[in-house]
Amino acid sequence: MAIKRRKKRPAPRADTKRDRTHSEDGVDLTLIRWMLSLTPAERLQVLQDNVNSILKLRDDKT
Amino acid sequence: MTKPKTNLRAILRTLTRHRVEFIIVGGVAAVLQGAPLNTFDLDVVHRRESGNIDRLLKALQTLEARFRTPGAAKRRPERSHLSSVGHQLLMTRWGPLDLLGVIGAGRGYDELLHDAYEVRLGGSLALRVLGLPALIRDKQAVGRDKDKAALALLQRTLEEKQKSHA
Repeated sequence: MAIKRRKKRPAPRADTKRDRTHSEDGVDLTLIRWMLSLTPAERLQVLQDNVNSILKLRDDKT
Repeated sequence: MTKPKTNLRAILRTLTRHRVEFIIVGGVAAVLQGAPLNTFDLDVVHRRESGNIDRLLKALQTLEARFRTPGAAKRRPERSHLSSVGHQLLMTRWGPLDLLGVIGAGRGYDELLHDAYEVRLGGSLALRVLGLPALIRDKQAVGRDKDKAALALLQRTLEEKQKSHA
């Protein structure tokens, strides 16, 4: 009996290069676009919040 | 010194209040320009001119800066350290601060100045930040594994930034 091969569903493709979520080398472009939508002060705050969260996790663990 | 609570803005404010001339480089410079990455220390290239080193020493006193390198731990940075082209890895009351004499292919404050631009963080906090193209060039020049890892992210950020301005 011949095995019927199921066709792979093609991955949803972005309409244009601009709509791509990742670059060819795997960088998440959505994060970059989000960061670019912020002011420099807001970007620094994002970094500060990330650092604080990671340090808190580390402190909670020890 | 008690365990420091990281506050990048407080370090930057202290340096600015003491009128220290410096350029933000490294991860924080990349983040300020939109790169979504994490970093735990603040890297700056300071002007190695006598008056600026005086002001920097005062700022470092306010920041309670000490070396965080194993052999020199708890020692305070001195004028000779800040005059050199070396990298001074410090811990302050507001977290890690790296003072770099030169970066990349040996470029110091004066050489980097034309690749830097001013960023305002609200209020009176105006800072000089090394632009993304120069950050990328310097990482390429150094070519360490950790620099290579960050390169793709910086290059894509620059491209997206250019598209958004187009």
